[in-house]
Amino acid sequence: MIRDITIGQYYPVDSPIHRLDARVKLTMTFIYIITLFMVNNFVGYFFVIAALTGIIKISKVPIKFMLKGIKSIMIIILFTAFINLFMTKGVHIIWQWGFLSLTVEGVILAIKMCIRLILLIVGSSVLTLTTTPIQLTDGIEYMLRPFKKIGVPAHEIAMMMTIALRFIPTLLDETDKIMKAQQARGADFDSGNLMQKAKSLIPILVPLFISAFRRAEELAMAMEARCYHGDENRTRMNRMHMQKGDYRALTMGLVYIAAILGLRYATNFFPFII
Amino acid sequence: MKMVKAEGLTYEYIKMLETDHGTEEEKVSALKAVDLEIEKGEFVVVLGHNGSGKSTFAKHINALLEPTKGTLWIKGMDTQNAELVWDIRQTAGMVFQNPDNQLVATVVEEDIAFGPENMGVAPEEIRRRVDEALATVHMEQYATHTPSKLSGGQKQRIAIAGVLAMKPDCIVLDEPTAMLDPSGRKEVMETIERLNKDEGITIILITHYMDEAVRGDRVYVIDDGEIVMEGKPKEIFSQVERLQQYGLDVPQVTEVAHLLRKEGIDIPADILTVEEMVGALCQLKLTI
Repeated sequence: MIRDITIGQYYPVDSPIHRLDARVKLTMTFIYIITLFMVNNFVGYFFVIAALTGIIKISKVPIKFMLKGIKSIMIIILFTAFINLFMTKGVHIIWQWGFLSLTVEGVILAIKMCIRLILLIVGSSVLTLTTTPIQLTDGIEYMLRPFKKIGVPAHEIAMMMTIALRFIPTLLDETDKIMKAQQARGADFDSGNLMQKAKSLIPILVPLFISAFRRAEELAMAMEARCYHGDENRTRMNRMHMQKGDYRALTMGLVYIAAILGLRYATNFFPFII
Repeated sequence: MKMVKAEGLTYEYIKMLETDHGTEEEKVSALKAVDLEIEKGEFVVVLGHNGSGKSTFAKHINALLEPTKGTLWIKGMDTQNAELVWDIRQTAGMVFQNPDNQLVATVVEEDIAFGPENMGVAPEEIRRRVDEALATVHMEQYATHTPSKLSGGQKQRIAIAGVLAMKPDCIVLDEPTAMLDPSGRKEVMETIERLNKDEGITIILITHYMDEAVRGDRVYVIDDGEIVMEGKPKEIFSQVERLQQYGLDVPQVTEVAHLLRKEGIDIPADILTVEEMVGALCQLKLTI
């Protein structure tokens, strides 16, 4: 059962979005996240939603997968909504009780915040659903390269991510084995209160950590045996190539930024937009 | 030039012992003045029970460990010369016991490319080597699979391909079949034999499985850090009692032959395979 957990959530279909260079997708996601915080009115949000829906349509990934991520941050969304609803000070008071007050301004702000959070999650899952973990790590390594001069270990970060991805299924298997071994000797992981449940995890975590360290040592030796010595003089089999589609996507990104900025300052001329 | 040459190879390490009076240091010799020579293209088996020092020896060949005393040359390169480390590791590749702990990447072909990438080989050449190595271990159809979904034998063949892509002259395999099921063991042994016969790669196989040792050209038996026996498999395995003294089993049929000889039945002592045994027994019947 533990094997069914998918790592990275790559959705393997062939689409123009899947074919884009990982670096382009990373840049676009970065731009997207920044622009989300620049949008300040509903017209802007409507535009972002329209653009995102278009991209999701092109990516051929079922919308269901995109929305999956929202479930995991539901609590955060509700909490944000609650705080914004009752803590926002405003002039159009609808209801008041002690320090809690419900205002028109609060309602509008809460709705905007929720939309922003949902768009944030859905937007970034477009990246992880359409890019393989390998492309993603390669892309991150490339993008971090300029920061090497100020001491960012770009290659090491990418290598760590690759190894982590490689060992997640192995360690999950191991966890499963240890749990079964402990259960066979009468361990009980399912009953008791939260504290007891947490305590019953110790006999799983200790052997898991010991074996992980042993694996790490063996892997380090195997990597050395294969001449690994950091990224000095290192080449790559698969090089990343920018193609026509990538440049087209970047151009569209620029248009997108311009539109977002335009909509942000539109409120100055059309004050009726909220 | 000899592929591997050892002269007085000694390796000592300090072991911390917990005693009643606190921790004490104890000097342990894992290898004691080992002398040996391995020719290019040979298939050499190193036999020994657990803790005999055979893995320590294997790690010396790859310059993962440095000798305390004595010298080890790989194709004439001294393993103590720090400048030659990468050349030595490229010349003598190494495959480890646990297939899970030596694969680095999440895609088979990326993993095979890892060695040549570290060596700074040009991308087109890496691509060529990866395809070639995959073909040699008969794993072409798995090029884009993820290693965690493969069987133990397949993972070990990928590990071998990863070493092959570095174009080594010699491959050291440290108990490569110890964690595999019988079919995985067969796959790996067949691959190793093919590399030796078809590609002319020198093979140093560290093992404690007798039926694997039988396939080598020459066998070294290591016990307590010393080489105690050396010779062709037939010479080694005919000395059943001596092997058992070193904590090693002989192939089952060899033991049967040994027991039959003890009973006064006249059959050769150097029977290693079931086929040989059948032949010997049939001829025995004719003479009666």
